[in-house]
Amino acid sequence: MELSVLQQYGPMLLRGFGITVFCWLAGTVLSMALGLMIALAQRYGPRWLNWLLRAYIEVIRGTPFLVQLFVLYYGGPLVGLRLDALPAGLLGLTVYGSPYFAEIFRSGFGAVPHGQIEAARAVGIPEPSIVRRILLPLALVSALPALVNFSIILTKETVILSIITVPELMYQTQRMSTETFRYLEANFVLALFFWGLVETISRLGRRLEARVTRHIERG
Amino acid sequence: MTQAASVDMTRINKFYGPFQALRDVSLHIPPGKVTCLIGPSGSGKSTLLRCINFLERYDAGEIRIDGQLIGYDTPGGRLMSGRRLREMRRDIGMVFQQFNLWPHMTALQNVAEGLERVRGLPRAEAEAQARAALDKVGLGDKTANHPARLSGGQQQRVAIARAIAMQPRVMLFDEPTSALDPELVGEVLAVMKQLAAEGMTMVVVTHEMGFAAHVADRVAFMERGELVAAGTPAEIFANPRDERIRAFLHSYHERNAFEV
Repeated sequence: MELSVLQQYGPMLLRGFGITVFCWLAGTVLSMALGLMIALAQRYGPRWLNWLLRAYIEVIRGTPFLVQLFVLYYGGPLVGLRLDALPAGLLGLTVYGSPYFAEIFRSGFGAVPHGQIEAARAVGIPEPSIVRRILLPLALVSALPALVNFSIILTKETVILSIITVPELMYQTQRMSTETFRYLEANFVLALFFWGLVETISRLGRRLEARVTRHIERG
Repeated sequence: MTQAASVDMTRINKFYGPFQALRDVSLHIPPGKVTCLIGPSGSGKSTLLRCINFLERYDAGEIRIDGQLIGYDTPGGRLMSGRRLREMRRDIGMVFQQFNLWPHMTALQNVAEGLERVRGLPRAEAEAQARAALDKVGLGDKTANHPARLSGGQQQRVAIARAIAMQPRVMLFDEPTSALDPELVGEVLAVMKQLAAEGMTMVVVTHEMGFAAHVADRVAFMERGELVAAGTPAEIFANPRDERIRAFLHSYHERNAFEV
């Protein structure tokens, strides 16, 4: 390996990594929010909406992210949706991740004992407050490991944004490779960055888990 | 204390698909008295209790709390609005077999939650009243504990505090001691006796025949979704006329008797 090329390409790779982290963070937050809304709409909405969302979940889960992104970025303009690469990438990540998060939240809701919801109803607490104060906090606790897990999967899905020219780490790595023919070094650096990112998320996740469960499991 | 309410149930029917869980049950719950519902499991006593605050929807008949129909706008009519149902539930406290405390909240928060969200009290006032309610059930020193740090008996007392803090006019107890270790039953029954002495209207589904015999003013015996008999504890326990009651009590005594 010849790591000296990194002196020249290092700053570019770092910028790329910054964009990768940004895309991951924004994509995760947005798709988690959309997933939560989907799960709530499925639980409390009318039957036709539930059916529609079910179809959305199946279609998005059933097609590759790469294809979705192509359709959005290159097919979007045909129906008047003209987006720059970065917004298109974020929208793509949001759409792609939301059904998985929706399913994680749905199982989280299912893990909340019905008796605790009934107790709240018996006291006369309005349904929106029950969701906010009881259902959501308890669902989040049980869903947290799965949420962190899918967030980690999403870190690596960001590399696909390179095909619509989002200048994230993969894109920069490929540029360095084609300009220097240092494929091995470039991909080595790429792997290192991702490993560092995932390790960080996973540690934060475990810490968060310990924090939110400290009262719930007998200590 | 706020005025104790009466509950009148008239010809209540309840179906789960083709299965009839309640058959034409009519029962008057007098105000300020303790009424125990007893009977074999699956007899419909919990279902009947859960119909009183409409956690369970009855299909035909009428349930009135102090004359006010619960669940429907008119008998056999449309379901009442969520807002109206919540207003009626404010007056009906409920205690569950599994306690159903919210595990992410402290004992104090569990009790204060309803005062804040339903009665609209400011945080400080809600917590003051919650503290008073916890004091009343003898848990004034456990306000900061989460449910996982409380024994079963303590959890159930917090659940009772959560209900009485709302100043209900009727209290429903659904097998409140069935999930407890035997040595913890007494502390919960003691709190219930204290409530009864204060003149609370109480409806208690229970397998504690001792409690039913000594604390209840009235006992109702159910079997297979039917109300078989209702009367004073003496009438039900001392000389039951119905063979089904005799059989039930006989098996109860057999289970609980022991000789050394």
